[in-house]
Amino acid sequence: MVKLTVDGKEVEVPQGTALIQACELAGATIPRFCYHDRLAIAGNCRMCLVEVERAPKPVASCAMPAMPGSNVFTNSERTNKAREGVMEFLLANHPLDCPICDQGGECDLQDQSMRYGSDRSRFFEVTGKRAVENKDFGPLVKTSMNRCIQCTRCVRFANEVAGVEELGTTGRGNDLEIGTYVQKTLDSELSGNIVDLCPVGALTSKPYAFTARPWELKSTETVDALDAVGSNIRVDSRGHEVMRIQPRVNDDVNEEWISDRTRYACDGLKYQRLTNPLIRVGDRFQSASWPGAIATVADGLSKSGAKGDEIQAIAGSLADTESLVALKDLLNKLGSENTALDTKRGTAPPAHGVDHRSNYLYNNTIPASEEADAVLFVGTNPRHEAAVINSRFRKGYLHNNTDFGVIGDKFDAIYDYEHIGVDAKTVGDFLSGGVKSPFADKFMKAKKPLIVVGSAVTEHDDGQSVYAAIAKHVEANKDRFLTEEWNGFSTLQRAASHTAAYDVGFVPSQQAESTKAKFVYLLNADDFDAQVIPRDAFVVYQGHHGDHGAQFADVVLPGVAYTEKGTTWINTEGRAQLGRAAISAPGASREDWKIIKALSELVGKPLPYEDVIGVRDRLWEISPALTRYDELESPSAASVGLGLAEMAKKGTPVTSTKAFVKPLENFYQTDPISRASVTMANCVKSFVKGVNSEETAVPPAETQAQKHA
Amino acid sequence: MISAALQRSKFSLNLQPFKRLYSNKQTVPQKTTHDEQIKEHRESGLTTPHPPKDVLTAEVISGAPETLQHRQVRIYKPTKNTMQSGTHNTHHWRVDFDILQGGGRWEHPLMGWSSSADHMQGTNVKFQSKEDAINFCEKQGWDYFVSKPRSPKFKTKQYAANYYHSPGKLRLAQTK
Ligand code: SF4
Ligand code: FES
Repeated sequence: MVKLTVDGKEVEVPQGTALIQACELAGATIPRFCYHDRLAIAGNCRMCLVEVERAPKPVASCAMPAMPGSNVFTNSERTNKAREGVMEFLLANHPLDCPICDQGGECDLQDQSMRYGSDRSRFFEVTGKRAVENKDFGPLVKTSMNRCIQCTRCVRFANEVAGVEELGTTGRGNDLEIGTYVQKTLDSELSGNIVDLCPVGALTSKPYAFTARPWELKSTETVDALDAVGSNIRVDSRGHEVMRIQPRVNDDVNEEWISDRTRYACDGLKYQRLTNPLIRVGDRFQSASWPGAIATVADGLSKSGAKGDEIQAIAGSLADTESLVALKDLLNKLGSENTALDTKRGTAPPAHGVDHRSNYLYNNTIPASEEADAVLFVGTNPRHEAAVINSRFRKGYLHNNTDFGVIGDKFDAIYDYEHIGVDAKTVGDFLSGGVKSPFADKFMKAKKPLIVVGSAVTEHDDGQSVYAAIAKHVEANKDRFLTEEWNGFSTLQRAASHTAAYDVGFVPSQQAESTKAKFVYLLNADDFDAQVIPRDAFVVYQGHHGDHGAQFADVVLPGVAYTEKGTTWINTEGRAQLGRAAISAPGASREDWKIIKALSELVGKPLPYEDVIGVRDRLWEISPALTRYDELESPSAASVGLGLAEMAKKGTPVTSTKAFVKPLENFYQTDPISRASVTMANCVKSFVKGVNSEETAVPPAETQAQKHA
Repeated sequence: MISAALQRSKFSLNLQPFKRLYSNKQTVPQKTTHDEQIKEHRESGLTTPHPPKDVLTAEVISGAPETLQHRQVRIYKPTKNTMQSGTHNTHHWRVDFDILQGGGRWEHPLMGWSSSADHMQGTNVKFQSKEDAINFCEKQGWDYFVSKPRSPKFKTKQYAANYYHSPGKLRLAQTK
């Protein structure tokens, strides 16, 4: 511990603390531009100058370690003078365009110049202020490089966290520029975060440009539902519109980052919405009233003659826990156990079973992912399935010398990995020591090995055997995989609803699997194969977007999207988080569990809860973990062991040479919301198809005309 | 009416006493005697009922509209804006109402503005501490949910870390 005095206040900080951190601990705020808690220290803006007794000059507190016995002044005249000087230099080349700058109102430079800025400058260049060409970073990040103050936060983020090594600086001194050297878009799933990091308005959000000011927005703190990470987000809305989505700090989940889908897919909430109940008449839908629509469903149920397991419910990736429970309860009351997911093989009991929670959870918690020595990915592409967790792996790669091996599709990772194979059989071979390679060596000896099993395994025909092979390996190496402080077996879910569905037992029974459904209830289900639904079945679709699933429906019941309801979400670690509604739902749509409750009344099997608190009581009865919000109870090594033992018994040795099929084609469009989003469509154009984003911005007709001219 | 209010049991999710351990058995009743099973389960003593709290809530005498009682408030510490480095707005606890579902807001047909029927949409109250906020909500007779505050974990940082040697292949090419 180091003891020092800051502004007359004594603090004790751990050895190796930066002076800026020490000052903060002492309660003094230090202005800064380049220093950021989660990035390496650069020390190039000089805004954080403080006066240290007996130091000849003011020191940059971020680049200076806290020294024992030093006496620091953060608010002395000398400090302020020094900071004013720095500010004057920064403003010498900064355009005075706050009124038209999107950062206005939440700009560090703006705020700090209120304190340290002078109303006039001593610098007058004949040539005017420095001008820098804007860069094209793609459809998400808008640049206005005149405003850049060269703090290099964006460069450090791209390099360290996002793994985009193309972003860097060129030139020196006054000519220093941020760019990608040769024109190139910023191809990363985390690129939106540089907008947050930029302390000025040089990098701003393109879709949000000129749409709102921060002080007009109402912020609602909630949870993301577009992937299974459960990133903490803040939804900024104005009136009845979601304007933007920002991350919220939670070191246990997403640190301070969110993926681009989480951040930018929110414009999809405005398009293709289902706002009225619809009933199919002939080959078109007709608007109906709620009582009419629900009566039609009840009617359809009795007319279809469906009994027991012939009544099927299929839930999709955006279904919330409350509605899953309500729907399952309703189906159970109707005598059916045919509750399925809309994934491949979702209509069969899952390969990992649901008796042991640890068999389908990310047991090794998100923060601990950084600590692994050797990570084996089986049938997963973490970059697409959980972009935020992927950044943790890069952290481990950089700071912990983690090595990676992949069985499954190759992907463009942000760390080096060894590709071991693509099919199920390789898993068996590798784990039994049949593969000789540097990674295999390291993995077999690693103190903290980690196996991450992706959803491609669950969806693989031979999934059970793959799970069994892995379970056997983990059991045999218990002393390394399952210890007090290390949990080396983890499953990575890719959709927000999957963990919850397994938790509440929203899976079909063995018997139900082979039953042909006569009545199908689709709850936010859009990703199923068309064959899953029998031609003559009566189909109800409940959801918020007119996507794939709604086309099959006889009756459409409009539910609400994740930003419009306060529901429980269980992330891939099994962490329960309570969302919060930011805006009210459009049109006549209703909260999902209420729709099911209403239906239950009409079919004569009323559900025993009246309000949302009642539903949560029910959740708690099913498993207390579902309502233990904000806390994570990771299964202990012993209980993981039990689950694995169960799994190891089931499979046969893996012989299948079928490759794992990646479940997500591209990162940007995975669910009805992101498929309806214009921004995400632009991302697909420029990042997946590689079209220059300047071109995508031009309407096609115009391009045609230009060509002919 | 007053006695009814006195009887009112307060519900707060995070105060819910959890007694039951996670069981590996199928916890969802599978058969059609569903209600019975739920009832049986409730009576089994595995779940603990929430004891009613003994407060005279202000709603009884304040004359506040009764509809207010059907709404939930949230108690939370606003998180830091990730766009900025300042932390000014994150030191207090805030109480505000969950939005009104269904028709709480609509677009004004003439001007396109957004209209609201929710008289609590702009209301929020700030408190020094969580306990103050909870106390206030209990006094008002509001159902509340307390979100756990999150602040970044402390981790020491050194400028020297830029120059650390890592054995083996080069993992980070500095581009700054
Ligand atoms: S663009 Fe923004 S984040 Fe990047 S160096 Fe310039 S000011 Fe810093
Ligand atoms: S914050 Fe210390 S030099 Fe920029």
